[in-house]
Amino acid sequence: MSTIATPVKRQNLLQLLFPSVVSGIILGVIGAAVCAFIVAHVVTPPTPDTLDYAQDATIVAAYLGWTIFFFIGIGAFNGVWKWGFGRRDETHAEELQLAGKDQGLWRYFRYTTDHKVVGMQYLATVLLTFFLGSMGAFMIRLQQSQPGALFFTTSTYNTIVGMHGILMIISTIVMVSGPFGNFILPIMIGARDMAFPRLNALSYWLFFSLIPVFLSALFLGGFPTGWTGYAPLADQTGPGMDAYAFTIMLFALSTAIAALNIVTTVITLRTKGMTWGRLPIFVWGVVLSVLLGLTAFPAFFVSEIMVMMDRVFQTSFFISSLGGSNWVYEHLFWFMGHPEVYVIALPSLAVAAELASVFARKPMYGYRLMVSGLIGISVLSFIVWGHHLFTSGSTTALDGPFMLDTELISIPTGVVFLVIVGTLWRGRIWVTVPLLFIVGLLVNFVIGGITGIYLADVPTDEILHGGMFVTAHFHFTLVGSMVFGFMAAFYYWFPKMLGKKLDPFLGKLHFWLFEIGFVGTFMALFYAGLKGEARWQASVPVEFATPNLIASLFAILIAASVFVFIYNVVITLVRGERAQANEWGAKTLEWAVPTPVPLENFEELPVVTSGAYDYGEPEPEEAAVGAPAQAQAEG
Amino acid sequence: MSDITITSTEPTPHDESGHELSPRIKAARARSGVLLFMLSDFMMLASMLAAGGWLSALNVLGMFKVDTDQPAFGPGLLAILVLVFSGLCYFVWQQGMRGSGKEGQTPFFLLALLLIIGALAMQIWVWLNLGYITPPDAFPAYDAFQSVVLLLTGFESVHLLVTSLVGILVLGRIMNGRLAGRDYIPQVVGYWWYYTVIAGVVMWLFIVLV
Repeated sequence: MSTIATPVKRQNLLQLLFPSVVSGIILGVIGAAVCAFIVAHVVTPPTPDTLDYAQDATIVAAYLGWTIFFFIGIGAFNGVWKWGFGRRDETHAEELQLAGKDQGLWRYFRYTTDHKVVGMQYLATVLLTFFLGSMGAFMIRLQQSQPGALFFTTSTYNTIVGMHGILMIISTIVMVSGPFGNFILPIMIGARDMAFPRLNALSYWLFFSLIPVFLSALFLGGFPTGWTGYAPLADQTGPGMDAYAFTIMLFALSTAIAALNIVTTVITLRTKGMTWGRLPIFVWGVVLSVLLGLTAFPAFFVSEIMVMMDRVFQTSFFISSLGGSNWVYEHLFWFMGHPEVYVIALPSLAVAAELASVFARKPMYGYRLMVSGLIGISVLSFIVWGHHLFTSGSTTALDGPFMLDTELISIPTGVVFLVIVGTLWRGRIWVTVPLLFIVGLLVNFVIGGITGIYLADVPTDEILHGGMFVTAHFHFTLVGSMVFGFMAAFYYWFPKMLGKKLDPFLGKLHFWLFEIGFVGTFMALFYAGLKGEARWQASVPVEFATPNLIASLFAILIAASVFVFIYNVVITLVRGERAQANEWGAKTLEWAVPTPVPLENFEELPVVTSGAYDYGEPEPEEAAVGAPAQAQAEG
Repeated sequence: MSDITITSTEPTPHDESGHELSPRIKAARARSGVLLFMLSDFMMLASMLAAGGWLSALNVLGMFKVDTDQPAFGPGLLAILVLVFSGLCYFVWQQGMRGSGKEGQTPFFLLALLLIIGALAMQIWVWLNLGYITPPDAFPAYDAFQSVVLLLTGFESVHLLVTSLVGILVLGRIMNGRLAGRDYIPQVVGYWWYYTVIAGVVMWLFIVLV
């Protein structure tokens, strides 16, 4: 390869910091202060009657100021201005500069458009939010380990539960489609970048910008509504609720932008030969997941606009004395809330199917069946939200239909499950850490799925609703299944993304501590729920002391697993063994590019001539050369 | 401090100039992006209309809409007519652009843009003069119907603001001669422009009829 001299501009400190996240934060803070001052002293000076509304208006103005000026500071609008008023289109070299070319680690702190940078930014941020959310979980288990409010007041406990819930939901929604959907997906389909690189950066930085907004709730008295943010309580509570509502709005914007970008990328940038029938199943999972988010989250966005208007403009969407209704919130929320479960589930299930084929060394059992199952789940998930309102009295006439279609969704879900099991069946199983997490996912998913049937049935839901049984059920679904899918993806793609091999012994220790701790914790809570323990209690009643103590003891194992995981990642990054280009001997395109993956991924765009899972076909010579691990597996 | 130019001797893995997307892909990407954005926006609109319609049907305590809740028909109709006329002007301009490879009949675009900005100003004026702006001593303020009207007029204002900003950016490209040969830009901007008009009409009809 010839050596090409590329002129590189060395920048002074000021040019380095502006624009970057540093200038974004500085301008954002200034903007927040200025906007808050203007609203507080000019637009809505408070009177004794309007004190609450004026306070909410000031806080919302501060959030708006933060968001707008943060994005000015980080340089998000520069490209928009140039698009309209520049005298020429940007050259390819300028686009590469924006993609972080020759900018070293600093590119991770700028408005960088390279999809791999955005993927890594998502990964780091998701791990951070997971860690913060986990701390909330451990505080909850600490409080619930014995009867009597041990450490926190009731309102503090409620805030911890709410912040843990919404932080974990937000994290799990983006945990697969954010990091891997950005880093891996474009390479998988043979693209050089996402369809809209600037929007890709925008979606990440919107996600980043909501973190300070969300954490500000801690300084504003928290919020007592839990993760659902139900109105009219949301109308009546303190200013911490403004943080909740604004966080959801930013998050909905971020996911909508990410969704249209990912879907457009897959529609328009697939390489030659990458037909819809040859798309890796992971791509299907991510595309369907983000499409679901694109169409379901707007309802949640609208519900939070209404809450904000009730709080700031004195409207009455949820105040019954003026013709409003709490049911409006509940329906809008759950119209998002149930599809949201599948927004989280689809990519994780797709990861499971993807990896099952790789580690069983055989073609996927029923590729089309799997795609049909994922599509079936996506479609049905839009008409099941009413089962969350069985006990609300809102739509009793529709209880029967909602019960029926909720149970119908178990058919495509079962199909997906059977495809994964069928792929593993009689395969040449290579027991790796990612595969262990897939097996854990399958075990936990069965438990989460079967217990869900009781909550879909009106008679049993009348008894179990609002109890610990529900808590245990959705943790088995979201954590036991979907977070396990994320972990599998993390261990699987870590060598490609960071070029190092994670320690398999520590990985296995992480898995077993997590699985045993998780099953122990939530089985105990199933028992407490069946015995009648209600959710939302800061103090555990004496009759439920034993299962709660058991749950808290098992939670120590989960905490230990988190620290083993962190240790493994840190130690690997510091002195881990270098990974090979095709660490697992897999056949999808991301393993055909060098590690670290070069800017723009491919020197020449590949031409796809076969499916992604043709493990029964004769091995191409070049793939076998780069994959001794495969030989080991097949030996 | 002045810039220092240094030279990287690292091998560049590939040619940096040959990886631009083809015009066909750029057009497909623009269409897909705008249509998906509209889908998301439509779901928001549908959520608002469903919420308003359901509140109207529930009519909790008979308080959804009281006798004094009659929206100002004339100004609303005028704003909608301006909006529709803007859409027609845009259509004429876009038709002139199609296949000509030139900038089209720019005055029609200018008129469309001015009308959309005018519609935005009118929308804000209507919002301020609905009679719903509560004196500071009247608490609590808006009933459910008024709340829905405020929500929809605010949402329409956001639509008009976005359309105005997009229009100004397109105007910048026209002024710099950067629209010729890029037929897909007027086309996909048109998707959004017409959608704004249709959504405005639907919201206005909803307010009038509910």
